[in-house]
Amino acid sequence: MSARRFFRSPWRTAGYILLVIVTLLWLVPFGQAILTSFRSYDDIMIRGFFSLPQTISLNSYREAWVRGGLSRYLPNSFIITLPSLILTLLFSSLSAYALARFRFPGNRALYFLYVGGTMLPFQVLMLPVFRLTNALGLYDTYWGLIAFHTAFQLGFCTFLLRNYMRTVPGEILEAARMDGCSEFRIWWQIMMPLTLPALAALATLEFTWIFNDYLWAIILLRSDSLKPVTAGLATLQGQYVMDWTVIVAGALLATIPTVIVFIFLQRYFIEGLTLGATK
Amino acid sequence: MSELVSQVLATLAAILLGVAGIAGLFLGLDFLVGLLPQRLQPRVRPWAYIGPALLILGFYLVYPTLQTLYLSFFDAKSEQFVGLQNYLWTLTSPEMRIAFRNNLLWIVLMTTFSVGLGLVIAVLVDRVRYEPLAKSVIFLPMAISFVGASVIWRFVYAYKPANVPQIGLLNAVIVALGERPMGWLVDTAVNNFALIAVGIWLQTGFCMVILSAALKAIPREILEAARVDGASEWRIFWQITVPMIGSTVAVVATTVIINALKAFDIVFVMTNGTRGTEVIANRMYKEMFSFLNFGRASAIAVILLLAIVPVMAANIRRFQAQEEIR
Repeated sequence: MSARRFFRSPWRTAGYILLVIVTLLWLVPFGQAILTSFRSYDDIMIRGFFSLPQTISLNSYREAWVRGGLSRYLPNSFIITLPSLILTLLFSSLSAYALARFRFPGNRALYFLYVGGTMLPFQVLMLPVFRLTNALGLYDTYWGLIAFHTAFQLGFCTFLLRNYMRTVPGEILEAARMDGCSEFRIWWQIMMPLTLPALAALATLEFTWIFNDYLWAIILLRSDSLKPVTAGLATLQGQYVMDWTVIVAGALLATIPTVIVFIFLQRYFIEGLTLGATK
Repeated sequence: MSELVSQVLATLAAILLGVAGIAGLFLGLDFLVGLLPQRLQPRVRPWAYIGPALLILGFYLVYPTLQTLYLSFFDAKSEQFVGLQNYLWTLTSPEMRIAFRNNLLWIVLMTTFSVGLGLVIAVLVDRVRYEPLAKSVIFLPMAISFVGASVIWRFVYAYKPANVPQIGLLNAVIVALGERPMGWLVDTAVNNFALIAVGIWLQTGFCMVILSAALKAIPREILEAARVDGASEWRIFWQITVPMIGSTVAVVATTVIINALKAFDIVFVMTNGTRGTEVIANRMYKEMFSFLNFGRASAIAVILLLAIVPVMAANIRRFQAQEEIR
């Protein structure tokens, strides 16, 4: 667009300015958190937010990591997230394959059950799931949380994968069937590779969602040594009431994994969301 | 450090075992199906593949939902049948009235601003050279947790008395402009809006991304043809763009409405519903874990479910229509 055309349209100029303003506004909270995390609390307390920092250091990060326990919480998040992610994708891709490719009575009904299930408010599950987990002896264990995340995310993943698998041309599968390939191998060796883009999209999305879960972590876990980083942050808030810079540094550290995933896999992330919302 | 290494190794082992176990389960089921007479196989096989997932779903989703429904008719300790008493309380008590009012506020404001702003940005960004950058920035909050966002925003809203330096950004700006600092999270005139603003900050990126994808799906030729015919950009937007992405706007708005109904983490972490900021989901959590009133907590959850059912039904109908077309 040439500069002349740009300025000819006042709407466009106004729009451009609005865009810049919104973008900056969206960055402000991050910017302030980053600035704060490098300062000491006393420094901000005495001089206020708009002041030149007396000292700049990584002390708050060190404090949050070592004494605040983030070095323990952060690995916990991975221990909970990765198995949940893998289990969900395995279970859902196989059900999705059956729903997308087999004709059988109840197929439609099941599909709509999954569609409805993706919208179920988690509140309805809270108390019974808490009791179930207790009854199974899984309360306050990684597996209790992993099992629930797997179940809760199944609906959305199955729904999305099923729709994606329906776009795969039937001839490819038919040809394999003719050659005497078993259904199970067709799923694993033909369908799964063809579904890779959708799987990648789902994996990024689900990683972020499960990693960022807070509610279920505080409901199904009690021991501090098992807590994921979201719950750990809340603990940190109670522990360092008087030292906010440590809390902010902790919050920033906690966001690093998902932000990295987001930056490098943004394309997949967006693809997953779009698939889910429009398909 | 060695503790960490052993933790990582144990996790890897658990993942491998889990995956092997599930693969074994599926292979075993597949093998069993293969033993059946040829005629029966196509009828049984889908259930072998769906079965395990269905069991998990039934166990963790269907059964709990039914149990919540059941418990909502019992007293605090789930011992005495009380009929509709919990529902009566949910719908009439002053505490819940505040929660309903606030959720309505969340729905109206968060949906209007997230979808509106998302749409405006999607349209604007579509023609800008820095599109990926602007998009990433606005989308970034979606990558961080609600707790992380709440911590970051609590600092934005931080409040100190007027005679001390302000440590929060917003109040620092206000004081620099010569005004009195505001207790953003305690002042009942503004605290709900302050919380909803965090929600908007988190949700706008989602709306923008989906709407932007819908915009890009509009065939260029149609827009070009309209331009050649001399239609203004304004008219093109309202008469071509908006009708063509209408259904996507509806989907996005539905999602945000559901999220507003379920709003929990932000309120829980930032104010815990104090000073008139209560929302349905937070009140439910309180009834359950602080007051141990399982009957009331369940009734609130059921009401929440009932509020979402129409949206669910609409969505299912939409997908049903889509299936008919195929």
